Amino acid sequence: MENTVVRIKDLVKRYGDLIALDHFELEIKDGEIFGLLGPNGSGKTTTINCLLSLLSFDKGDIEIFGKKMTPVSYDIKKEIGVIMQNVAVFDELTVYENIDYFCGLYISDKAKRRQYVEEAIKFVGLEDFRKFYPKKLSGGLLRRLNIACGIAHKPKLIILDEPTVAVDPQSRNRILEGIQELNRNGATVIYTSHYMEEVEQICTRIAIMDKGRKVAEGTKDELKRMIKNTETITIEILELPGKVLGEVAGLPHIYDADYVDGRLVLSCSGGKHNLTRVLDVLHKHELGFGRVYTELPTLNDVFLEITGKALRDKED
Amino acid sequence: MQVFKAMFKIVKKRLPSAMVYIIVFVTISVLVTNASSKDNQFKASRMEISVFDHDDTPESRALTEYLGKNNDIVEIEDDKDKIIDALYYKKLNYALIINEGYAEKLKAGETADLFGNYHLDECFSTVYIGQFLNEYTSSIKAYLAMGKTSDEAIALAEEALSVQTEVNMLRVDKGGNSHYSVDFAGYFQYMPYVLISVILAVVCQVLVTMNKKDIRYRTNCSCIKNSKYTAQLFIGSGLFVLAVWLLLIAVGAVLNEEMYTGRAWYAVLNSLIFSVIVAAMAVFIASFDPKDNVLSLITQITGLGMSFFCGIFIPMDVLSDGVLSVARFMPAYWYIRANNMIADIEAFDKDKIFQCYAMQLAFIAAFVTLTLLVRRIRYSGASIGTAVKKAAVS
Repeated sequence: MENTVVRIKDLVKRYGDLIALDHFELEIKDGEIFGLLGPNGSGKTTTINCLLSLLSFDKGDIEIFGKKMTPVSYDIKKEIGVIMQNVAVFDELTVYENIDYFCGLYISDKAKRRQYVEEAIKFVGLEDFRKFYPKKLSGGLLRRLNIACGIAHKPKLIILDEPTVAVDPQSRNRILEGIQELNRNGATVIYTSHYMEEVEQICTRIAIMDKGRKVAEGTKDELKRMIKNTETITIEILELPGKVLGEVAGLPHIYDADYVDGRLVLSCSGGKHNLTRVLDVLHKHELGFGRVYTELPTLNDVFLEITGKALRDKED
Repeated sequence: MQVFKAMFKIVKKRLPSAMVYIIVFVTISVLVTNASSKDNQFKASRMEISVFDHDDTPESRALTEYLGKNNDIVEIEDDKDKIIDALYYKKLNYALIINEGYAEKLKAGETADLFGNYHLDECFSTVYIGQFLNEYTSSIKAYLAMGKTSDEAIALAEEALSVQTEVNMLRVDKGGNSHYSVDFAGYFQYMPYVLISVILAVVCQVLVTMNKKDIRYRTNCSCIKNSKYTAQLFIGSGLFVLAVWLLLIAVGAVLNEEMYTGRAWYAVLNSLIFSVIVAAMAVFIASFDPKDNVLSLITQITGLGMSFFCGIFIPMDVLSDGVLSVARFMPAYWYIRANNMIADIEAFDKDKIFQCYAMQLAFIAAFVTLTLLVRRIRYSGASIGTAVKKAAVS
């Protein structure tokens, strides 16, 4: 039976007139990798900060492991590991000393701590960098150190707030694989990101946020089923008369047709053989075409359809 | 004690740059003390002289030989220009010419025109050698008058003049202040600059590092109590300040060649209070989370500013009234005032010294209050306590 690890009820956080969290609700079950997805400024980090009692809130309740979370809930904090967006390590301490310090804030037994630190170093693959100072590490290795500092004490709930910002693809993959391994080892994970590919790759359930509100929640498939779009067809054509565009747009299951810069983009909703029918129309009018491809809907499409805007301001 | 241990690991990294101040200060103090301790030991002066014997008699040679025992004879050509050059460049203190007929005149009891000389005007060596020659010839003249032969008179005169007087250097006791000399007061006078430089450079830097926003966030997420965290930082900072102060006090005792006694204890207490002021100042500055280069600038401005305004580098009696009236608003002013009174540079007044202590304690209270105020303003946004209350009300 699944237990609720995190429950957020009716959370409101205001900064003056700005509402950062607008009656936000969330429930995360034991063993999930829960993704909080949203554009910059949507309220992901504010939610995490409220969850961790780092930030005050105006209204609402937060429960973790079935207990009310307050700044002095040390028994709850003991079971939480946090990896923030910014790397939070001491430049003056070595890799080993940094992990040992943060692990030591939770684990007082020296022998146990030594074992945990070694395991964390191995987990993030920093065995050869134990005595290195953070300034000597590359961006990817530094992120791994940041993660090791957050998970060394073997927490039951791990919160990762955009841990892969400005990380090279190789390190990013390693981090994502590591998160999945932590989850397999029994940890519940909350993962915030504005990289939809990452969230799609690792999260078992996702909540999409916008302007401090939860606009959708579910598994990847559930979210994709929420929207009208089931397939997007793109065909490169040098010239497309308006009459033909109208004929294509009138085909069954095609709810949107657009011809811009030599590309015909068709949004389909359900149905089968949509591409065959479109190509038949082009053949009938003896129109030559170049590349043809179809795409299944992404979380960006989900976000676009629900909020009317793209998930990312720009490609990172 | 995880925070405490981490703090000292960071202190260790910052220490080498701070130690430079202590090493330079101690080295200068040792050099100054050695120089002043040599001044306190009596030693008969030896002059660098040249003797030009134009008489060339046993009597004149005896004088030359005797002068050589108590002075350093410099061989130089008997040429006026060269002698004057040697005097100008201080290769020579005095050039003595034993005139022809020296022995004859001495036997005849005449003392006029026995010698010629080249010397610098109104200098110690001129008086010293002149006085010696006067005593020497007068003694020989007296022994010759007693019927002694020339050889006997010379031998007796040399014996009489070679009697050494035992000289002991005594400290002047100014109302129980024999244990806090002006030299020793100088050591305590410069101490504030070192305390400011070292404590601000280390404690401030370490506190800024430990309270970096991201690190503090991560620490606040952990199960360590806020009060425990702050207490460990407080103890760590306190121990470092105490260690620096004890080191300087120990060096002071070594330089003074005895343990602190009498009035010196007032100076010890004065420096302890000032160390606490600097520690409070470090915590206050750290509460603004300054960047490394800004912190370095603040350290320099504070250290040098107080040193020049409050009489650390320049004696207070040289400073103008305007500067001193500004300096009153700085803690180092009251430290130096107390130090001056303890060293009798100003009249010793126990009540006034305690007033200076009280003023310094007021600065500590002011820094603590300001720190609490700044922290309250800066971190009020993250006050969870109020959030929980608000949530409960709603």
